[in-house]
Amino acid sequence: MLFGRRKKKPITLRDKAVVEWKYATCGYCSTGCSMEVGLDATGKAVTTRGVADAPVNQGKLCIKGITEAEILTAPGRGTDPLIRDHIYQDWQATDWDCALDKTATEFKRIQQTYGRDSVAIVSTGQILTEEFYTLGKLARGVIGTNNYDGNTTLCMASAVSGYKRSFGSDGPPGCYDDISHTECLLAFGSNLPEQHPVIYWRLKEALEKRKFPVIVVDPRVTMFAQFADIHLPIKPGTDLVLLNSLAHVIFSERLADEEYMASYCNGSDELRALVQRYDPATAAKITGIDEDMIRNVARIYAGARAAMTIWTMGINQSIHGSDGVCAINNLNLITGNIGKPGGTSLSITGQCNAMGTREWSSCSGLPGYRLLENEKHRVEVGQFWGVDPEFFPKKRGLFMTDIFPAIESGEIKALWLVATNPLTSMPNTARIRKTLEKLEFCVVQDSYADVESAQYANVFFPASVWAEKDGCFTNTERRVNRVTPVTKPLANSKPDLWIFNQLATRWEQGRGMSFPDSAQEVFEEMKVLSIGTGVNGKARMLDISGMDYDKILAQRGIQWPMRAGEETGQARLYGDGVFQFADGKAKLLALEWHDNNEKPDHEFPFWLNSGRVVEHFHTRTRTGKVGNCNKYSPTAYMEINTDAARKMGIEQMEYVRLVSRRGDAVVMAQLTQRVPYDMVFVPFHFFDCVNRVSLGLLDPHSRQPAFKQAAVRIEKVDQVEAGRLNRELRTY
Amino acid sequence: MTAFESALDTGVNLFDPIDRARPSKSLFALRDNEPEYALLKDSSTQDKNRYGEQIVLLDLVDEATSLNINGVREVGFNPNRLKQHAFHFTADNCIGCHACESACSEKNDLPPHLSFRSVGYVEGGTYPNYTRMNISMACNHCDDPVCLKGCPTRAYTKHPEYGAVIQDPDICFGCGYCTWVCPYNAPQLDPVAGHVEKCNMCVDRLEVGLKPACVAACLGNALDFGVVENAPDNREQIEKQLPGFPDPEITHPNIRFQQTKTMPREVTRTDSMPVKYRRHDKAGIYKPMVDQKVGKARHWNIARLSSQENPLVMFTLASQAAIGLFALMLLGSALGIPVITTFTASAAYPVAVLFSITLVAFGLLMSTVHLGKPMRFYRGFNNLRHSPVAREGAGVAAFMVFAGIHILLVLAQASWLVAELPLLAKFAPLLAIGGRVCGVVALVSAGVGLYYMYRCYRIRARPFWDHKQTGFSFLGCSIYLGSICLAGLGSLTLLVSGDSMLPLLTTCSVIMGVGLAIEGVGLILHARDLSAAESEGAVSHYVQKTTFGKTWFLRNTALAVIAVALLCAPLYLGEAPALWPLFAVAALLIAIVGRALFYVLVIPTTMPGAFFWKNKGFEQHARDIGLAEMPQVGVVPLGH
Repeated sequence: MLFGRRKKKPITLRDKAVVEWKYATCGYCSTGCSMEVGLDATGKAVTTRGVADAPVNQGKLCIKGITEAEILTAPGRGTDPLIRDHIYQDWQATDWDCALDKTATEFKRIQQTYGRDSVAIVSTGQILTEEFYTLGKLARGVIGTNNYDGNTTLCMASAVSGYKRSFGSDGPPGCYDDISHTECLLAFGSNLPEQHPVIYWRLKEALEKRKFPVIVVDPRVTMFAQFADIHLPIKPGTDLVLLNSLAHVIFSERLADEEYMASYCNGSDELRALVQRYDPATAAKITGIDEDMIRNVARIYAGARAAMTIWTMGINQSIHGSDGVCAINNLNLITGNIGKPGGTSLSITGQCNAMGTREWSSCSGLPGYRLLENEKHRVEVGQFWGVDPEFFPKKRGLFMTDIFPAIESGEIKALWLVATNPLTSMPNTARIRKTLEKLEFCVVQDSYADVESAQYANVFFPASVWAEKDGCFTNTERRVNRVTPVTKPLANSKPDLWIFNQLATRWEQGRGMSFPDSAQEVFEEMKVLSIGTGVNGKARMLDISGMDYDKILAQRGIQWPMRAGEETGQARLYGDGVFQFADGKAKLLALEWHDNNEKPDHEFPFWLNSGRVVEHFHTRTRTGKVGNCNKYSPTAYMEINTDAARKMGIEQMEYVRLVSRRGDAVVMAQLTQRVPYDMVFVPFHFFDCVNRVSLGLLDPHSRQPAFKQAAVRIEKVDQVEAGRLNRELRTY
Repeated sequence: MTAFESALDTGVNLFDPIDRARPSKSLFALRDNEPEYALLKDSSTQDKNRYGEQIVLLDLVDEATSLNINGVREVGFNPNRLKQHAFHFTADNCIGCHACESACSEKNDLPPHLSFRSVGYVEGGTYPNYTRMNISMACNHCDDPVCLKGCPTRAYTKHPEYGAVIQDPDICFGCGYCTWVCPYNAPQLDPVAGHVEKCNMCVDRLEVGLKPACVAACLGNALDFGVVENAPDNREQIEKQLPGFPDPEITHPNIRFQQTKTMPREVTRTDSMPVKYRRHDKAGIYKPMVDQKVGKARHWNIARLSSQENPLVMFTLASQAAIGLFALMLLGSALGIPVITTFTASAAYPVAVLFSITLVAFGLLMSTVHLGKPMRFYRGFNNLRHSPVAREGAGVAAFMVFAGIHILLVLAQASWLVAELPLLAKFAPLLAIGGRVCGVVALVSAGVGLYYMYRCYRIRARPFWDHKQTGFSFLGCSIYLGSICLAGLGSLTLLVSGDSMLPLLTTCSVIMGVGLAIEGVGLILHARDLSAAESEGAVSHYVQKTTFGKTWFLRNTALAVIAVALLCAPLYLGEAPALWPLFAVAALLIAIVGRALFYVLVIPTTMPGAFFWKNKGFEQHARDIGLAEMPQVGVVPLGH
């Protein structure tokens, strides 16, 4: 063999010279991977690696986690508070006192003029749980607006709503380990390899050890659909019909777990009666899945000793998102697949701390899954915080998606956006722009000053990012995990906790209450509040009193509930068959499907489907600046069926204009048979792109927009002009 | 003060990292709980690989020594460290999640525009019966490392440890030749840094028993690594082929595949390369074929003839003209062709030789400008043992030296100089012999240079070039460009002396005609072979007939017409001598256009790209619209 030289030559490899590793939980998605951030001798975060013995990821990270150290110093970070009287003026850098005083003064003025609820707060799923809790205390107990919600309404509201309707409470009942025990995995509108690659890896590992059927329901031939044993290429927006039909087959072929239903569920008669009408032959016409296949899948699922369903945005972002979740819960209740190893309804969550905001932010009520509608809860929390319970509204206020129309109609005059970017993420951007222009006052609190929504802000709070802060995230499987301050906050940016605490002191009422400075103290406060008795008379489900920061760190995250005195958390909920309703029984719900989507027609002949790609997160404020992520899709594009494109004379890499009843968007065409003839798929991450055309009809229960179903047509565009536009819109 | 506050105060984190201190001068820091999937575990190994090469490379070195990575003298404790290792890729499993690529870039601290590993894909079928196959590819640390052989600077070493082929950017001068010869696109020419870098097999991780970073990061359980010809756990195939993967016979790459799921009969690439792959039922493999992505229409695309390789167009043409001129003068006078002997006997001869040297010097300057690190040009001769580039350079340089001495010796015999320095007369016989010997040596050197210039392009990974046409073209060009120079210089002398130019022009016309005819014959053979080829060569041929169709057609037609016209010149040139300069200019244009096409048309046997990443079409577009100015786009504007 040829070696090239006899005498050895020294080898030089690039070395990031890490001298210290610090613990964090990944700040992107809700998989909740444990990682260590590597610091070099100067204390700069230079790299990351997966924590080898972490139960979630066992040392693995996805592309975003692998490159995450870069986001700490990515371009566009906010370095100083900014201020301006009018949005058409240039920003002026200011100090924190000025920015906070101005905000408090404006909020007070507007509340005095237009009423308490005329100030709205839209938060996020990105900040730490202790911060959510503190924001909730500030919003509910000090500022006192009832128009306070999180952007989780755009991603997880349907799952939350569905869990509440079926089980009486939010809280995913299953865990990742169920994958290792299940005998059938059914995925609805979830593209694990792209959206949650580390969970996909867990599935792959399980499959290498033990083969079991994987069934994927998705209108696109995603990698997951390709690798599934059975792919059901469903027509958009018809999941509920398929689920009802599966229940039909299970009932009619006597495959249901009657004993489980009788013992632990209400409503089985109503469900039976309803799904009578969803026989496979009827369902086939609506869903596009043939009747034999529907029966086949129903038999496989019901026949498995343990079967689980996972879902993500394909279900949630639809007008029957909440119903879809309930129907999934139905499926698992009638087959006795809740709370047992390998049998579950597991909503694969989106943002790193979507769970944290659901649990503790008080967005939908009061902390710890408490409700404003419940007097006992109002008193309990009021006394604990030192707030007159009568100060709390008696009913939940507007959802995020209703807050914007309320701004439009003039009811809301001030808006505080915390780590969210509605200008890119909300459907029908044109309407959002007009809406934001109407505000008298807008504050944007974000780690990145170039977040697009800041265009409409009067005050900008530069927040510290992820591992510059201290606290916890909760992941998809209810695992509370630690983020430790790996580096100091950049420049004059501050942890969100500090910002909330500082703002609280601007109110008389805030000065009278306790707003602890350290995250750990906040956590201790939450622990106390997590203890109690639930509606079913048993110990509260969301109980974290047994946890502390050291234990969480040592176990690389702990799943709630973990009650005082317990060694570790609980992998699954409802194993005892006791649900969070007063009688302890789960509800089987009869869910009628209504065909009210905007559908392709002569004028707008294509379905518009939107979604995510692995290399980007949400509105690209982070990944758009990390070259080793961004380069895999640096510009907006759409997948269009090759045959459809050829017929219109559209070539690969040609720019086209998507036009809907709302507006237009310019994208680059990628010709592929991955999508059906009458559908285009556009990643939603890009500014001024797919959400200029999306509709986002709201789910009646969860108020979540149906991002994935709308109708568009395609127009040719001047390629030079389109190229120039693309260049301008992608500039950071 | 809480525990947390005190921790913040002291700057120490509550979390006690698994290994806080990383000794800077030791082997790769191994955690005591490295996950199972990251550990190398070849308990037994074969003796020889499927190509008959030793897997145990131990016998080939004296003793186990340190790899000397970043100055660490310690020897790794991997028991298999002296065995050839290989990647194993289960194509059925790759989800295209980029974890391998980003883990590699993270470990090697690579800027966005570089990558040692890339994932591309092929796809086929019709919705919903659609299949995409992702392919993750880095360096295959081949048994026959064509990069190592091709590199003129000896920047490459194949180490007996793991059989790793490692390239040293500190030696590299950025000629990019390794990126031409590698069929897998493994060496990456960094246009910003001006040198090549590539996968280093993560030898630092291997030394402590860890699989490479990309493998440890894989989320589809697609990528694996171990001693070659060993199937990883749970895998049954160790195939050497995959749809879209270049012919393994070129380099005997150390990568093995598993691909058990049925693929569509035909799979296409999403990038702009007009290549698709079709299953060859008998051979059981997929072969590349033309994918008519740009239709059948013929275009001019004159502007696109200008490319990054323009300096090489100039280098090859100038040096071939120089070599042709020198050879014509020497061989012509040796054969006693009257017009040439007259010229070589004249005072203009040394000027002509000097002109020839100047042309070569200009060519070399151009090829040096083409380097990423021109100041390292002198390293171009380091690898005479293997590299045609080094030999080409050496041949051309030797030609310059000996042709230079040759002129000096010829001048020393010139009567006017002898008159000045009578002493020279004493050495006249010696000078005459010396002059002749140097002339012959220069001629031989030129021949060697020209031959290796041709060998440089006989690259199996570039089927468009890997054809005798390259030889026909280089030889033909040398002849007709040389004779244009000779005719030009000769005419000038004759203009001064007032003698008739016709005999010289006629002779040179015929020689030019022969040169053009040689190239023409090459072109016919080339077109014939490429039309029938099952390789990227056929694709190049498709591009030359479409994207550059009109240019190509005009150029080749002109070549044929002028070749015939020149061969017939003795019949009519006396009547119309003004035609000659026209022919000369036309031949020059034919040469330039032909050579430009030669460089822009080549389509290497690279791996399929993705829609944005590793898509030449998108890279071009990103440069055109200015996206490339943003580093996070991963495309850099072209320098020079």
